[in-house]
Amino acid sequence: MSAVTQLSRRDKMLLHCAPLCEEHADEHALRTAIHHAKKTEAYVTQQNFDKAATALVQRVAIPREIVEWIPTETFIAPPRRPWKKYAQHPAFLATGIAVLVIAIVGIIQLVERLNRFPGQTTAQRLLITASSNKSMMLDPVKADAGALGDFLFMKHRLVHYDVPAEFADLKALGARVFDDEEGQRVAQIWVVEKKMQFFMFPAERDVKTGAAKHFNGWRYVDQDRWTGVVREDKGVCFMAALRGGEKDLAPYVSKKKE
Amino acid sequence: MADEQKQDLLQLYRFCFLMLADAAKAQEIFHATLREAAQLSADGESPRDRLWFFRNARWRCLEAGEQGLRAEEVDFEQGELGDGAPSQIEKLDPEQFAIWISAAPDPQRTALALFYLNEFSYSDLLSVTELKPPELSKLLGNGRREFQAWLDATFPTTQT
Repeated sequence: MSAVTQLSRRDKMLLHCAPLCEEHADEHALRTAIHHAKKTEAYVTQQNFDKAATALVQRVAIPREIVEWIPTETFIAPPRRPWKKYAQHPAFLATGIAVLVIAIVGIIQLVERLNRFPGQTTAQRLLITASSNKSMMLDPVKADAGALGDFLFMKHRLVHYDVPAEFADLKALGARVFDDEEGQRVAQIWVVEKKMQFFMFPAERDVKTGAAKHFNGWRYVDQDRWTGVVREDKGVCFMAALRGGEKDLAPYVSKKKE
Repeated sequence: MADEQKQDLLQLYRFCFLMLADAAKAQEIFHATLREAAQLSADGESPRDRLWFFRNARWRCLEAGEQGLRAEEVDFEQGELGDGAPSQIEKLDPEQFAIWISAAPDPQRTALALFYLNEFSYSDLLSVTELKPPELSKLLGNGRREFQAWLDATFPTTQT
């Protein structure tokens, strides 16, 4: 009995329920308690007691009427396969993974669509242009970028091709006007600071009405390690582009200018 | 019917017998339980598992026990389990053990009857008796000691 007193209270409690067959101990805590007590005198005595009582019960005579009355068919419903079993079936697993992938792709596309803005395709194309340009390809100028709006209007008849106040004070090195792949007039200005380039191009238009599609505020766009920040005003989009990330452009667009 | 299920039904009769200590009543309840299972099966609502039979028979036995003569509820004496208990138990008839078990108050009666069928896992026992682990433990532990005291009174040490 002294060995039993060393067992925990929980073990002692569980040992009263210790079955004779190991497979009947279907809970971890009970198996642990049995393992702890296996060699104790009290446990052995209890098991011998239970074995004798069980043997006595098995001696209960079964009347002939009972044996004859046992039906040939079973009344127990076939076991239902739990949902986990179904989930582990290769066909269901494959279908589940496919649905998950489709859902993820769908969500990504939806998020991208929500973040898209009119003129984004043109802006991305112009970022490729920016990455392959050299400053010497432009006509040299010596002026503030903000002053080039009049130049573009006077020389190229480009209305509202103005540099926003946020970028107007930056010194320009060169400028040019060219037609892009879609025949749109694009103005390009090269500034000294951070070898930044400005692009001004017509805003995307509604196919039916021909009206410019507006959007508010600054929108970021990136392409091959180049980042641009775009704003639409009076049917013309302005994009400031540089080689770098959003954090390089953010200081410019976050400052308030009158 | 599989041998395992046939064995379950034989054990069901033994369970009824232990609960009532009356072969005729045990047979009656065994038949009533099987009839209900057959009826449910015919209605397309077959019992989910073998435990259903024992739960059903348990309540029928308790109901039958209420109607007949009832043993007076007394606090049994308790004795420490001894090494000589197996030989004391061997001297008993199954009917004597059934009388002793059927005299125990429920849920101890159900717990002892099910436990000594040596048919159920620990979680099955908890499920059919609807007891919590400490309750089942207490009832089985006390049951053993009370049965030991009864054995000691029935077969005093001088006789063993």
